[in-house]
Amino acid sequence: MGQALAGLAAFGMLAAGGVVGGALPAAQAADPATKVIRVGTTQAVDSMNPFLAVRLVTGSIHRWMYGFLTVPDSKTLQPSADLAESWTTSPDGLTWTFKIRAAKWSDGQPITAADAAWTFTKIMTDDGAKTGNGPAVENFASVTANGQDLTIKLKTPQASMLDNPVPILPKHVWEKVGDIAKYEADAYPAVTSGPYVAVEHKKDQYVKLQANPNYWRGRPKIDELQVIFYDNPAAAIVGLKKGDIDLIGRLSPPDFEALKGDENIVQWNTQGRRATYLQINHGATTSDDKPIGDGHPALKDQRVRQALHYAIDKQKLVDEVQNGLAVPADGSIVPPMYKDFFWQADGDQKVSYDVARANKILDDAGYKKGADGIRIMPDGSRKLQFRFSIHTDTPIEDKLAEYLTGWLKELGITLTTKRLDSSKFTEETGTTALFDIAISGWSVNPDPEEVLATHLCSRRPTASGEGGGTESFYCDPQYEQLYLQQLKELDRSKRADLIKQMEQRLYTDAPVIALYYPNDLEGYRKDRIASITPIPEEKGLLYGGSGYWPFYTIEAVSADGADGSAEDGGSNTGVIVGVAAGVVVLAAAGFFVARRRKGVADERE
Amino acid sequence: MSITWTRRQRALRRFWADFRTHRAGVVGLAILVVAVVLALAAPLFIDEGVTNVVRGTGEKLAPPSLDDPLGTDESGRSVLLLIWWGSRTSLLIGFLAALLSMVIGTVLGIAAGHFRGWIGAVIMRITDWFLVLPSLVTALVLAAILGGSTATIVIAIGVTSWPSTARLIRAQTLAVEARPYIERSTALGAGHWHITTRHVLPNVAPLLLASTTLEVASAIVTESTLAFLGVSANKTSWGTMLRGSYDWGAATSGAWWYILLPGLCIVIVVLAFTLCGRALETVLNPRLRGATR
Amino acid sequence: MTVAQSATKAIDAVEERPARHGLVRYAAAKAGGALLSIAMVIVATFFLFRLLPGDPVRALAQGRNMTPEQLDLERRRLGLDRSLPEQFVHFVNQTVQFDLGTSYEYKRPVLDLIGERIGSTLLLTGTALVMAVSLGIWQGARAGWKPGSRFDRFSTAISLVLWSVPTFWLGLLLLMVFAAGIGPIPGLFPTRGIESVDAPDGFAYVLDVAKHMVLPCLTMVAVVYAQYLLVMRSSVLDEVGQDYVTTARAKGLRDDEIRRKHAVPNALLPTVTLVFMRIGFIVGGAVTVEAIFSWPGLGQLFYEAIRVPDFTLMQGTFLLITVSVILMNTLADVVYHVLDPRVRSA
Repeated sequence: MGQALAGLAAFGMLAAGGVVGGALPAAQAADPATKVIRVGTTQAVDSMNPFLAVRLVTGSIHRWMYGFLTVPDSKTLQPSADLAESWTTSPDGLTWTFKIRAAKWSDGQPITAADAAWTFTKIMTDDGAKTGNGPAVENFASVTANGQDLTIKLKTPQASMLDNPVPILPKHVWEKVGDIAKYEADAYPAVTSGPYVAVEHKKDQYVKLQANPNYWRGRPKIDELQVIFYDNPAAAIVGLKKGDIDLIGRLSPPDFEALKGDENIVQWNTQGRRATYLQINHGATTSDDKPIGDGHPALKDQRVRQALHYAIDKQKLVDEVQNGLAVPADGSIVPPMYKDFFWQADGDQKVSYDVARANKILDDAGYKKGADGIRIMPDGSRKLQFRFSIHTDTPIEDKLAEYLTGWLKELGITLTTKRLDSSKFTEETGTTALFDIAISGWSVNPDPEEVLATHLCSRRPTASGEGGGTESFYCDPQYEQLYLQQLKELDRSKRADLIKQMEQRLYTDAPVIALYYPNDLEGYRKDRIASITPIPEEKGLLYGGSGYWPFYTIEAVSADGADGSAEDGGSNTGVIVGVAAGVVVLAAAGFFVARRRKGVADERE
Repeated sequence: MSITWTRRQRALRRFWADFRTHRAGVVGLAILVVAVVLALAAPLFIDEGVTNVVRGTGEKLAPPSLDDPLGTDESGRSVLLLIWWGSRTSLLIGFLAALLSMVIGTVLGIAAGHFRGWIGAVIMRITDWFLVLPSLVTALVLAAILGGSTATIVIAIGVTSWPSTARLIRAQTLAVEARPYIERSTALGAGHWHITTRHVLPNVAPLLLASTTLEVASAIVTESTLAFLGVSANKTSWGTMLRGSYDWGAATSGAWWYILLPGLCIVIVVLAFTLCGRALETVLNPRLRGATR
Repeated sequence: MTVAQSATKAIDAVEERPARHGLVRYAAAKAGGALLSIAMVIVATFFLFRLLPGDPVRALAQGRNMTPEQLDLERRRLGLDRSLPEQFVHFVNQTVQFDLGTSYEYKRPVLDLIGERIGSTLLLTGTALVMAVSLGIWQGARAGWKPGSRFDRFSTAISLVLWSVPTFWLGLLLLMVFAAGIGPIPGLFPTRGIESVDAPDGFAYVLDVAKHMVLPCLTMVAVVYAQYLLVMRSSVLDEVGQDYVTTARAKGLRDDEIRRKHAVPNALLPTVTLVFMRIGFIVGGAVTVEAIFSWPGLGQLFYEAIRVPDFTLMQGTFLLITVSVILMNTLADVVYHVLDPRVRSA
């Protein structure tokens, strides 16, 4: 009996914990007038140290905390003033002078050019500080500060200087740090120059940010911003529906659709910043132009790649694979949300789904069908049998593979799917070139230089097999030429023209074939968020966008009465708790009685 | 020969009569037979095509209806057909992993029991070492490192689950070898091979059957857990279906059939194996006799 | 391991225990054995993680803009540029100094990462273990005392059904029913974590954590308690036939009293052994439960390491989990030796 009681007591305590816990007004900030917005994320914070952080969630948090030299304009996404009020460039494009705004850090210290100079120099000189943004300063020759004037000397001209992704850190705080590679940046409140100040970070749980009263644009309209981590996406959706969180970005199409029908939730569906494309092994080479890998020889032929392009029904892919929540790609690797740089094929150039035409291209090129209906190389050496490399456990890619296989079959080409875990995948498609066709994608920044650079000759692996970060093993003189030109071109519209020519080159030469641009899918509670401005303001992103605009301009539903907190059903909770407690008590009582009876009955047997 | 034959036959009959008295075991066995027959017969009616995402004919995530009695998944594939076809992978992995674990366990168990002295001691040391390893965590690491395929999943589960079989078989071997006729046999010049295969193995075989049956049950659960955690054989199984329902937000979209049914199938089949194995064990292992009166 | 086997095994373990050694000698032998086991774990871990296909550094660079120099630097930092024997010596050296390396993903020492999370895991698994053991022992004792009774059939059946349920699936269902709420059932319990974001202080905080713990704990208990129940049941069954029980009955002692005072204490030992022997099993359950309920513990860290994949982190977590399980087992062996009256009197 003693044990019986112990067992019951354990359960009772747990149940009581649950019920009584339920009775507490769940998770209320102490002061009811505080305006709190809670953002859900399914990515945990990797490091609060901007020198080390690489994850998107951390990048976003740092955008809300720190000023940058420039920030994309909320309407045009063109670089506009942030911590740098204004800037000038020398005629040769090698010397940039930024005038740093006379503003204050959140601890009241003045912001000077020395802060920026220290930050950049730290990355340039300390290998341990390169993890987060190393490549961003690779082209810097020197950085010097003089009062509010910051002078950066470059090794070669660089038009993307105004899209520098390095957050400027307060020198007076950070210079005391010993080994930057080991520093967690866990001193709170943090000293920041942006709209928010991080005040607490519980690992794998949440980050709390409070409005920065010293912010030079003025204090944000809410008091606190919380970033709450969910390991389980389904739980995050439940959290949004229950009101545990107020906004969540980067949803998958099914999670997005699960929000349908909830009158308090706004489904946010706009153009995204990502392109999904096929990477084709068109004869991969190393950076010293030696062939590498085992790509199918037929894919070296631009006509074959072109035929593949004609055989893909992109609209069908969007409808079936992405639940219609994407835009079919008639361009290349830059998605249409970046209006200035987006290029789209039209007229004769445009490749649209046309199996007959694809077949004709192959026929004309001499790839005749064999007895089994499968095409062979013009010299008869090999059948057109390609592998399609995708990741394991990605249903979207599985589906894509099934459709591609079906379409290529109509061309007389066999496609077999090869599923690889992510490390193997990266190696085979990025370094050793052991693939024919592979799935790929890239999230593009307001300045597309980074994604364009992934198709440069220099990005190919070295002879010793060191990966350089190529996305295609591409090496094309025309493309290289254009890249160098755009680097030097400081006139934005002329540069945009050059970049569009590069996209066109990728489109027609087809080392990569863009499939679609997935939409940006998010959801937020309109009973909690009164207004939020996306970036760009027209059809832009809320979470995961560049700049801090959405979360700087966010407004909470005003706090009259119920203070707009998630738990609007306080009285309701009471009833529920009462009922639940009653049930538990009754169940326990009933159980005891039943056991007593049975105990007696047992003994009588 | 004929004497042995009739003796074995009689033993079998006695065993069956005994087994029949365990109602739960019989029910479990019946479910198992049905499940295995269905899985084996599946290719007569359907083919791998039912798992093809492009060929899904129904609405996406449609609730059960006359066309799709168990509803559809995110690509409009019939959940019923997926479960049917997926049972092949789940059962195959379950059986193969149990078989692998049984082979390793038997060989090492008999060796440890037969060769006393340092060989036995070393084997037991290794067995005990494997026994304390957290099996799921080890299987996960193994599968993650070897990459996902049916073979690697089978290896990951088999390699982490054999020690309990080895211990059981060792204990049994010790008991068998203590019998007088083994001594006689040794005196007559029988070698290690003769004794272990002719005398020990037939005697431990029945118990092995029981333990393997139970092993299949846990292998099926482990497979589904590995699939859920992201390492799978890349084939439709009940585990990968559950992973799919998780990935495709079935829970939040209210598609209960997609989450509930593959899970129930696992529970039912695993329970059937467990009941069957427990009944077998009670019948065969005198130690436990009376344990489930 | 399966239910019934664990039962047999626990009983076997009792019989195979060396009886005549002095306690100190026994403990020393066990400690030696544990050291050997740990050494084996370290060696096995090293080679296991060198079987990895592909270059971990390249996997790390996936989707990121890293220069070859940076990759090189990363490789040097991880010691991947050295020869295998060198790497091995280095690895062993570091491991015995409790240096588990630096996580690729978090850029922090693995030991620190583990240290930050081990508390939550101990809280969750500890509570679940205590509850599962009490529930299993209580039900098992009653079931074994009156085999074939309605209670026996009912409790054994329920536990076996729950034992057959995949942990993650049960967790998901509980989450969807009791955290999200379905139909008339309100979503009473939180959807994530170990505490509310704006957690209250003092006793209210304890309640807040308790509330967050209900669903994950329930999931773990439901799946694992069957094994304790079955072992307890069969060891009580063994006691029922013993002479002393008959004697006690003849003396006219109340049945309930005999069970409580005599049979259960005697039957407890094999169950207690099993509890320690199966610690690793509980840890395995923690991986899935923590992933589903976003519980900030070791299991979640391990899951994260597999998803990234972050091999140093995976390796470190694996090492730590295995070594602690081995230590637990050794401790259990020694404690058992002290406690077991049969061993002592022999």
